[in-house]
Amino acid sequence: MKLLRVYMDTGETYVVSYDQKDNKDTIKSEEGEMVVEFLGKGTRENEYLFKVGDQIHSITLDEGFLILDQEEEYKVDRVNELPVKEGQSIEELMKGKEGEVLSPLQGRVVVVRVKEGDAVTKGQPLLSVEAMKSETIISAPIAGVIEKIAVKPGQGVKKGDLLVVLK
Amino acid sequence: MPPFGKVLVSNRGEIAVRVMKAIKEMGMKAVAVYSEADKYALHVKYADEAYYIGPSPSIESYLNIQRIVDAAEKAHADAVHPGYGFLSERADFAEAVEKAGMTFIGPSSEVINRVKSKLDGKRVAKEAGTPIAPGSDGPVGSLDEALKLAERIGYPVMVKAAYGGGGIGITRADNADQLMDIWERNKRLAREAFGRPDLYIEKAAVRPRHIETQLIGDKYGSYAVAFERECTIQRRNQKLIEEAPSPALTPEKRQEFIEASVRFGKRIGYFALGTMEFAYSDVTKDLYFLELNKRLQVEHGITELITGIDLVKLQIRLVAGEHLPFTQEELKIRGHAIEFRINAEDPLNNFTGSSGYVTYYKEPNGPNVRLDTGIEKGSWVPPFYDSLVAKLMVYGENRARAIETGRRALRDLKIGGVKTVIPLYKLIMDDEDYQTGNFTTAYIADKSEIFVKKLKEKEMLKTALAASVYNRGLMRGNRTQEEGTARPKSAWKTYGVQAQANARVMW
Repeated sequence: MKLLRVYMDTGETYVVSYDQKDNKDTIKSEEGEMVVEFLGKGTRENEYLFKVGDQIHSITLDEGFLILDQEEEYKVDRVNELPVKEGQSIEELMKGKEGEVLSPLQGRVVVVRVKEGDAVTKGQPLLSVEAMKSETIISAPIAGVIEKIAVKPGQGVKKGDLLVVLK
Repeated sequence: MPPFGKVLVSNRGEIAVRVMKAIKEMGMKAVAVYSEADKYALHVKYADEAYYIGPSPSIESYLNIQRIVDAAEKAHADAVHPGYGFLSERADFAEAVEKAGMTFIGPSSEVINRVKSKLDGKRVAKEAGTPIAPGSDGPVGSLDEALKLAERIGYPVMVKAAYGGGGIGITRADNADQLMDIWERNKRLAREAFGRPDLYIEKAAVRPRHIETQLIGDKYGSYAVAFERECTIQRRNQKLIEEAPSPALTPEKRQEFIEASVRFGKRIGYFALGTMEFAYSDVTKDLYFLELNKRLQVEHGITELITGIDLVKLQIRLVAGEHLPFTQEELKIRGHAIEFRINAEDPLNNFTGSSGYVTYYKEPNGPNVRLDTGIEKGSWVPPFYDSLVAKLMVYGENRARAIETGRRALRDLKIGGVKTVIPLYKLIMDDEDYQTGNFTTAYIADKSEIFVKKLKEKEMLKTALAASVYNRGLMRGNRTQEEGTARPKSAWKTYGVQAQANARVMW
């Protein structure tokens, strides 16, 4: 059993647990569990076949991209193995620590409305991130005290980046 | 003889490229303008000449009238095509171009000034006998007045910003409580977004569809309508998928739309291309005029596909003073066309814009496919402008065939490096309500839960397969073989291989 963080090139990151037994991989994420059976190489160069449920899917590799079923292209920047500390549950690792506010999107920090040491109520706006002309306000998920602000106005952030730590 | 020698296109992205294609075909020179962010953009490379007009924010470049007119003068352009968005419907821009001794490709500043706001449009429509939604004749002064009016015309009502555009500042209120809730907020938003807080109220259509007509007029009072476009598939009042003709109209209803549009055009002496937007109720069969877009429309291409007219070339000729080359009776609808707006947006994240480099790019082509694009492999999608990067259009002899082609072309179109709405469109093509034409403007909002669920499942599948591919070392798999492919260096070797492979060598 491994814990992986998959970094997509478009900024998303997904934390999954990965368990390989012969040809069968069990992958668990926040969204649920999936059993992927590796069927081997396809009949063309750079084509690999997998069985998920009763469906057979192909992955073709092209210019560093993965093409799913000949139609959907995506790229993985990297896959990191995460250290699992004793006593830590997978669910906990997937969701991030309580009080950590992560960026829900890729963009640029416009304003930070709070400073370290401020007490905030649940739902209070902390900062806003702008992506393509529209501003998204990030609010406090819980009531608490701002322990750390990890970003500055004007800074670019990726999805999943740490913005603020609440205590 | 081309009507002009050189035309400057004061826009960017796919529409700049599209307009330049018409300019080049007509034997004229195409001039681009570009901001800092667009230094390496496709429209700049495609033009015959290009001029830098300022920093990336559009207010300093594509919205800067002085700099664009300066560039046009420097280039010795005879005419300026504004595309859509940016300065395309600004009377002051048209006037500045006219004053500089050039032709503005669109209606004159005088005609633009006849319909400045949505409320002007409603007034003209009333005078012309074009049907409008019951509601206020002018801006509604106070909340009390609004409540009284809404009570009289009946809920639900639409609250709109008089100077609004682009689908911003439109809210529906189903009852008095909701109206009270949104009134002050919308007023403030309207002031922030458009500089004028004026709001007005009109009755909302029951199960509304958004249908628009393509109005075409010359300077001598002749009009024709190149039929309608159905633009009902929207999110946040912005169009995503359009089609022509509308699956909801009978020939009689279509005629009603055409006549209502021509009456409006005649009333204000409109010329060149205009789009008459209507709300249409499937239930009551009422049509309500919404507004006139005084420019080339984003979705003009699907009208071109079903009528065979090149609207951009026609627009340029009409503005140059040529007569309308056909009558209404000569126009015929042939087949069905669908347009998909390819936006660099994340459908899983409330359609937030996705900026970045296009690192993978495959265009669809083949029978019945047209792609108007503003990007290529290596392009940067900047965060400063609209997220529309390309328009995919498909054609079929009927709607079902067009959907088939659409599904295929969406699969063939591959854009990597930025998020796009393509995965969502694939789901819509497979949706029965879309296939049967059973939808309203709330289609995306109503189905968002199921679409998001399916998109998330796909993301999970992609992540899981990526985890398998990486953990099994498959990414490294075949690289050696690729590089190891023998490439004959000598032409004699190639000749030898070919000669032996050819059956004729035996004789």
